[in-house]
Amino acid sequence: MLRNVLARFFTESFFVHRTVKYSPSIQASSSPFASVRNFTDVKDESQQEFDTSLLEFLVCPLSKKPLRFEVATNELINDELGIAYPIIDGIPNMIPQEARLVQKDSDSPAQE
Amino acid sequence: MAASVRPLLERMIFRPSAGAVSVSVADGWRPSPRCYATASCRSFSGGAAEKSTHFGFETVPESEKAKKVYTVFENVAHKYDVMNDAMSLGIHRLWKDALLRAAHPQPGARLLDVAGGTGDIAFRFLEYVGSQKGRWAGRSSWWQDICQKDPGNREEGEEGPTRDSRVVVCDINKEMLKVGRRKARRTGLADGVLWVAGDAEELPFDDAQFDIYTIAFGLRNVTHVELALREALRVLKPGGRFMCLEFSRVTDPVLARLYDAYSFQVIPLLGEVIAGDWKSYRYLVESIRRFPAQEALKELLEDAGFCRVGYRNMSGGVVSLHSGFKL
Repeated sequence: MLRNVLARFFTESFFVHRTVKYSPSIQASSSPFASVRNFTDVKDESQQEFDTSLLEFLVCPLSKKPLRFEVATNELINDELGIAYPIIDGIPNMIPQEARLVQKDSDSPAQE
Repeated sequence: MAASVRPLLERMIFRPSAGAVSVSVADGWRPSPRCYATASCRSFSGGAAEKSTHFGFETVPESEKAKKVYTVFENVAHKYDVMNDAMSLGIHRLWKDALLRAAHPQPGARLLDVAGGTGDIAFRFLEYVGSQKGRWAGRSSWWQDICQKDPGNREEGEEGPTRDSRVVVCDINKEMLKVGRRKARRTGLADGVLWVAGDAEELPFDDAQFDIYTIAFGLRNVTHVELALREALRVLKPGGRFMCLEFSRVTDPVLARLYDAYSFQVIPLLGEVIAGDWKSYRYLVESIRRFPAQEALKELLEDAGFCRVGYRNMSGGVVSLHSGFKL
């Protein structure tokens, strides 16, 4: 086990160093090279599809009721409360403060 | 970089009391059961309409703490793993391995890793259950019958349990999740992990969904620890286990002084040199001192409704692993 730990320690620190080399250019926003690299990064991230197997776990954090996945707007919608949680880069953002109110005539407005 | 290091050095030279303050806090902070309650009572007597809480050694309104913590982790996300290795000299890997060994997850288990941004616990979980596969070959048929009866498991008994092991990583900080997801893709473990941005105090999961709930080095960053514990109890299945790995009080006084000196002098310097952000690392170090000690956290867990609560100190009390069951 100790050998495994040491082996992983050394191998993983190599991976980590590789990320360290790239990250300063990701953080710098002014230079054109950084923006090109950012663009590649963004393209990579936006190809992430939302994993629908998450739907078996996810509920609205406020009402704990099930959600509906709206493919068109890429959001998870709680029809009861009329709020929509965005999915950004395939990661659902279930933080209540960042949910959007869904304006619909038939549904009652969100109470919370 | 020289310009930003200068205020840090000035602070170290002209305010050496920072070290002394930390020692007296460490000495005076007996793990009294009421210590956490006193902190919130004190804030009431301050007369402010809104309750205040601690952000490191500062006192801030509760509404601000979450925002400040978010900013801290947004800044350190890309260097989080490097800094962990540098600050703990790689020992954090052993602590996390110990957490998984204590949890001893079986194939088919569902893990919720809260505040697990960069995925360390999640990846270890997948490797652990993967290595348990060999054990299943010799299992008696009654266990396989149980697995096949499980509505969530429609596959064959041999493959089902391992295929059904899911881990959901929930973190309030999207930057940390993105770093974690990138790591997953690089190590080829992306399939078993689901990433969700969510608040530990208001989890977006239904009741009784998970077998194990882990929170490693994240509980001290939550504004309302008792709410997070209550949510943990809610999402765990009956028989589910709560495991919290967190920095805690060092038991030996000599080691405590060395640890304080290292924390307050070396770590912010490392933070500045490696991550270019000493303030975030000073916050991290201070937040450790403000977090309840081993016994106090154990009482909090019991108050939240967990049974058979216990803890195990590691590295002389630098880190403590608390565990409780939902029964």
